[in-house]
Amino acid sequence: MTKQELIDFEREIGDRFNNREIRAPIHLYAGNEDQVMRVFEKVDCENDWVCCTWRNHYQALLKGIPQDRLRDEIIAGKSMVMNLPEYKFVCSSIVGGIPSIATGLALAAKLRSTKEHVWCWCGDMSALTGAWSEAYRYSVAHNLPITFVVEDNELSVLTPTHEVWGDDRWYLPVANNRTWYENKHLIYYRYRNDKYPHAGAGVRVQF
Amino acid sequence: MSNQLYNQCLREAMNWLGDQPDTVFLGQAVRYGGTGCYESLTQVPDHKKIEFPVAENFQIGVSTGLAIQGFVPVSVVPRWNFLICAADQIVNHLDKMPLLSSGRCQPRVIIRVAKGSETPVDPQEQHKGNFAEAFRAMCVTIDIIECNTPESILPAYQLAYTRTDGRSTIIVEFPDYGK
Repeated sequence: MTKQELIDFEREIGDRFNNREIRAPIHLYAGNEDQVMRVFEKVDCENDWVCCTWRNHYQALLKGIPQDRLRDEIIAGKSMVMNLPEYKFVCSSIVGGIPSIATGLALAAKLRSTKEHVWCWCGDMSALTGAWSEAYRYSVAHNLPITFVVEDNELSVLTPTHEVWGDDRWYLPVANNRTWYENKHLIYYRYRNDKYPHAGAGVRVQF
Repeated sequence: MSNQLYNQCLREAMNWLGDQPDTVFLGQAVRYGGTGCYESLTQVPDHKKIEFPVAENFQIGVSTGLAIQGFVPVSVVPRWNFLICAADQIVNHLDKMPLLSSGRCQPRVIIRVAKGSETPVDPQEQHKGNFAEAFRAMCVTIDIIECNTPESILPAYQLAYTRTDGRSTIIVEFPDYGK
């Protein structure tokens, strides 16, 4: 899966949404292809679990879910609730909903001494919730096989995350204001999506 | 005597669950004393019990993750008033996962909860609620069983463990039974 193939897939989904072929919300990525692909250099796509939010097409493709299968699920309305356990791919469309489930997957892997690792994505607003904090603290303290990936586009829908939270970016001291930071349990990167809105593909669609 | 019988039946049910190969017990006071639930878990092997922080929503989410991986978590929350803090993970996630995944993802979690005891001391309004009906109204797939008699306890937990219909179960206990 190349960077251009990721971009092309999102464009196709956006076109289908604008053409009223998808009667459910979609959340499209743009501008973070290099960063997502860099994370997936570490992912064992066969054994590892990938957990995401309502914005998940790039991760699904890079995990190895066939494009046709993913497209069918999206057209069936499952874009923001993509749950394909046969591909070890689990998502939630509730802010702060997925970190605890991902922690449970990682705890199971530890209890069974498997080689699975869990990769749990979320955005900047989710990473500032109590739900995320509980999952992160527990996972680090118990050395669970999980890495939390925080994508910071500085927006939650159109709300400026760091303005409403008082600009307290807890991860910046460790990230040292870089656009990429990683350690064993945390990967943080900053990006901008100037192409697509929070939901939809930029055209008001009347079903 | 009746209350002793109720508690004895709880111990038998927990021991039966503890004998199953894929169960794991998690919650506050599963390994350390302090609540009424603990007394029913003393014969469950320690290696099957995970003492958990007080973080109910997190606990139910972790239970869901464990269940997706094939465990059958017995997630213990001692009172309904505490369990409502986990409404998001129960209503939006555990209950809806089979629907979101078109039946491919069917985590089987057993949630053990009680209506808070009112005797010999009344804990007042934040500790003695029974929200079974409210959660029935919000849940589509989760089965909520109220154990009103000692004889109903073991069959309820056996059903929750052996069921193959993809549903999780909330089992409600009444520690004031027979007092």
